[in-house]
Amino acid sequence: MLAALALLAFVAPAHAQRQPGDVARDLPAAVAEDRISVGSDYRGSSITVFGFNPDRRGRGDIVVVVRGPDKPATLMRKRRVFGLWVNGDRVAFASAPTFFAVLSSRSLNEIAPAAAIRRYELDPAASAELASQTPRGSTGADYRAALVRLRRAQGLYQEQAGVTGETNQGAITLYRGGLFRAVVRLPANAPIDEYQVDTYLFRDRRLISSQRTPVNIARIGIERNIHDLANQYPLFYGLLTVLLALGIGWGAAALFRRS
Amino acid sequence: MIYLPIAEMPVNVLLILLVSGGVGFVSGLVGVGGGFIVTPSLIILGVPAPVAVATGLSQVAATSFSGIMTQTRRRSVDWRMGMLLSIGGMIGISLGVWLFQRLLGLGQLDLVISLLYLVLLAGVGWLMLAESYAVMRGRTHRGVSILRRPARTIAHRLPFRMLFPRSGLYISVIPPLTLGLAIGALAAIMGVGGGFILIPAMIYLLRMPTNVVVGTSLFQTLIVTSLLIIVQAKATTTIDLVLASLLMLGGVVGAQFGARLGARLKGEQIRALLGVILILASMKFLADVVALPQETYVLGDGW
Repeated sequence: MLAALALLAFVAPAHAQRQPGDVARDLPAAVAEDRISVGSDYRGSSITVFGFNPDRRGRGDIVVVVRGPDKPATLMRKRRVFGLWVNGDRVAFASAPTFFAVLSSRSLNEIAPAAAIRRYELDPAASAELASQTPRGSTGADYRAALVRLRRAQGLYQEQAGVTGETNQGAITLYRGGLFRAVVRLPANAPIDEYQVDTYLFRDRRLISSQRTPVNIARIGIERNIHDLANQYPLFYGLLTVLLALGIGWGAAALFRRS
Repeated sequence: MIYLPIAEMPVNVLLILLVSGGVGFVSGLVGVGGGFIVTPSLIILGVPAPVAVATGLSQVAATSFSGIMTQTRRRSVDWRMGMLLSIGGMIGISLGVWLFQRLLGLGQLDLVISLLYLVLLAGVGWLMLAESYAVMRGRTHRGVSILRRPARTIAHRLPFRMLFPRSGLYISVIPPLTLGLAIGALAAIMGVGGGFILIPAMIYLLRMPTNVVVGTSLFQTLIVTSLLIIVQAKATTTIDLVLASLLMLGGVVGAQFGARLGARLKGEQIRALLGVILILASMKFLADVVALPQETYVLGDGW
């Protein structure tokens, strides 16, 4: 298996592309799953990232970011009015990742300076973009932290650091010869959409190279049919639900009358 | 476990059937749709609130239709009154949907829903409990019900009067229309059929005889929920057909068993039971708005 992965790792640079003013996107890295299917037995999934650190002495740190599409979000802080807790102090985010998992071989602060973490959006708080002024008595950082905390509780934001060793289970597993592997758990509530996997190699707190791979999560079978029906023919879908309700209601009444 | 395509989460099939069966049992027993129990239960099970509100309606529609089938055989549906309530309900739905979106935009929707549930559940529950307690006490002492129907209310004095032969009433059409409108608006906001408010209102406000109240309220509930399902499917695409099917199956079976037990209980016992259930349910909403929250921030839109 490792041989096949090594081969995969060497094939990857063929797709590498350079972006002007940025580092080379030539880190040999790939995702094992190119498509994740969501059927009626779906209970979450995982994304496995493989890569190869070209440094002969194995120096450098690996950061893997799995990111769902960005969507606007709002956050409110509860306020007490006449003894009741009401939602006040509303703050809007122009965009925030719907899913964000970052796995790194050491803690991010040890790997990269704060400016680089912000620039490459390596942690979820850095990836959320505030759209409005924050109310008095709080800062944007409070709201960012709250967003991360709430989404982390839902399993949608994940941060994990460390290298898997003999005894401990870390974020990144290193193999002999520079091969590495990272597994991101995808909870069942993670949005079904296009994901992006970014793999970064840092050395001496500087970004050396990176790689971007898309992963598609898609519904299949009846799940897909129902979802498409609900979105493309909503009127028919609603009528179908009502008819089903009438049918089941009638069926039960008829069945129980006989018995 | 089965994955729900619209709610985007896996659920335990058996657990959903059990919950919907239990809700169905209670609704069959007291003759309400059960939306006020099923929607909060789904939210507790982790179903996103918009999906729970919209999908819970499908169980209400199925159980009400099942109930109507049984009630029609007993000739206890006042069709004329039901139609009038439904017409009011349709206007109420459009008002409710508009309000729903306004409140969602202001970010106060969950507060308003909690407060509405709190006030309505506690108020109606207390009313029913007090009344049935008085009847029960009255029965033991004198053997007569103190709830004597023909007392005249405002409904008898307003203009546009109409004859309702099945209920034996000659009252104005304005109160039923207004009542239907209010219930329709509440149904759209709270994701309930409204039977738990409609039934007491029909008894105390319109002075309808108790034997036609349940059937007629089920009729109005069916019309309002069916319409709401279609509106929600079109406007919000939050109805999960897989979840809906499970809820309907569990609900109708539970309702049949509930109805059997209900037929053997006295009217005031059923009302006392409903009163207790409503008051217990209202406690949860009281805790939501008054207790110190563990997390002071809440996510607005996006589940």
